[in-house]
Amino acid sequence: MNTTTHPFAPEEIMAFVDGELSAEQTQAVSSHIGQCAECATVAANHRGLSEQMTSWRVELAPARLSDRFSAGTGEVASRLDVLKRRRSPAFRYAIGVASGLAALVLLLAIAIPNLLRSKMAANEASQIARQRAEETSKITDPYSPVPSASPRSGHGERADKGEAKSDEEKEEVIHSPRPGLTLAAPMIARTVSLSIVVKEFDAARVSLDAILARHNGYAAGLNVATPQGAARMLQASLRIPAPQLVAAVAELKALGRVENEAQNGEEVTQQHADLLARLKNSRETELRLQDVLRTRTGKVKDILEVEEEIARVRGEIEQMEAEQQTLEHRVNFATIDLKLAEEYKAQLSSPAPSVGMQLRNSTVNGFRNAWESLLGIVLFLTESGPTVLLWLLILAFPARLVWRRYQRSLAMGSSVGV
Amino acid sequence: MQDALTALVLNSEALPQHAMDETPSRQPNPASLRADASTGVSDERLMLEFSKGSSDAFTELFSRYKQPIYGFFRRRVAESAQAEELTQETFVALLRAAARYEPRALFRTYLYAIGFKILRAHRRKTAFRAAFFGDRLSVPDPSKRDATESSLWVRRAVEKLEPMDREILLLREFEQLSYAEIADLLQLPLNTVRSRLFRARTALRNLLEPNAAPATQNAPQPIGRKGERV
Repeated sequence: MNTTTHPFAPEEIMAFVDGELSAEQTQAVSSHIGQCAECATVAANHRGLSEQMTSWRVELAPARLSDRFSAGTGEVASRLDVLKRRRSPAFRYAIGVASGLAALVLLLAIAIPNLLRSKMAANEASQIARQRAEETSKITDPYSPVPSASPRSGHGERADKGEAKSDEEKEEVIHSPRPGLTLAAPMIARTVSLSIVVKEFDAARVSLDAILARHNGYAAGLNVATPQGAARMLQASLRIPAPQLVAAVAELKALGRVENEAQNGEEVTQQHADLLARLKNSRETELRLQDVLRTRTGKVKDILEVEEEIARVRGEIEQMEAEQQTLEHRVNFATIDLKLAEEYKAQLSSPAPSVGMQLRNSTVNGFRNAWESLLGIVLFLTESGPTVLLWLLILAFPARLVWRRYQRSLAMGSSVGV
Repeated sequence: MQDALTALVLNSEALPQHAMDETPSRQPNPASLRADASTGVSDERLMLEFSKGSSDAFTELFSRYKQPIYGFFRRRVAESAQAEELTQETFVALLRAAARYEPRALFRTYLYAIGFKILRAHRRKTAFRAAFFGDRLSVPDPSKRDATESSLWVRRAVEKLEPMDREILLLREFEQLSYAEIADLLQLPLNTVRSRLFRARTALRNLLEPNAAPATQNAPQPIGRKGERV
């Protein structure tokens, strides 16, 4: 065995034969081959092999293939048409205009109904607002006659006459128009919820007090929270005379940015009428009992029983009078549930934890998380591992068979043709 | 981009024409940047014209590449009908992709890349059907074909090569692709292409000429150091 050293590797000789070398390298290899018989043989072998492969010929492509792709027919024609159309400036312009118009029509189709709905909703809202304003102006005395007669006096007169009325009659009293009396407005207990974010909390607080004073209202409850490192918050339940509710709410809204607003109106007309009727009956009962006590004579036991009954009826009357006052107060004074939040500004002076402390905390948290993850994996494996293992064992063999079959098919499919 | 395209087209037109036929050639790869002698227009320019809607350009491209693409498939699949179908698919894919064509590479590489993708899809589909649905793979029987004895030996020898080596050898010998084009097509490093091609040729030569003494001084041998053959 002898060793011959050549300046070029066999692969370079092959690349030279294939024309894959640069001009300089080609020149150098060519010169070397001219002098080295061994390298010349290597080059000749490569050329010979390629020539030998020329014997592997394939038949001519079928003529029908050409027919399918002849211009002007089938796929080629349709594709060319598409290309031509796509490149035509007029066609593209038309497509652009049509797309724009379609988009505009779509936009209008979506927008116009919304606009109409918005307009109708605005009209409705203004109508409702007008009605509410009218109701509010009447609500201070729901049964007050306009301009003169008083429903309460009406009730009183009837009570004096001792007339007992059915429920239908009561309903009539409330809802039906009577001669000399305009339609009485319903009794409505108004409730408003407001959430407002203010920039200057202290100034807003002062303004709130001023608003209450200006509208003769008061705060039924008020709570101010000033947590550390967070925005201050005020929660209050305000009572405002019903006629001044709209103005007061408008002034409150001006304090800052309204985040949430909700208005509620509970009609208590029926409740009030029932209460008045029951009150009248109880008073009449009380009067009759007092008459009995005054005019009749009898045993002491009977007298005591009548006195007890008078006391019970009196208690009921007082309770109902209290309920009546509360109800009327709810109607006369609207409730505003106010939430006033300060726009939070981070305090520059707030002491931040030191870097060391933060590092320590993050390290502890990191280790804890890692440990919990590890524990989770172990728990999962102990819980599901046997099942997974079982299924792997069951499926491994058929999967391997299928995979090997697929690979074998792939290898056979990549064999040579003719 | 436009300048580069112009330069590419001009260069390709300036280069000598090299027929893209079935005959392997020892010429370096001027075929990759060629212009047809009859029309004098490069493949890339024809493709650009076709993408603008020229049917003549497509006809010319089809006439240039119909046989090479058919041969590409015919050497890799068992039946001529399959080769015909795959050739058709390749040109249909070309038609569909025409609007998006950008001459970043040679048209020839582009077309063979399409063909190669279609071939791989075909092989996967066939293997899948064979593995899961029991379809029989049609394996060619060289002895039943009308072929010379020499070509029979070549085919049998090529079939015994490792698949990737075989693919590289076929692309080089019959499709006349350069090393760089093969590397691009098969997503391999250039040096890998060269070494695998060398290995394939060595193996093929040993298969074709078993008495050629693979370890003789005439045959290229594994190299210990550069140029040193034992």
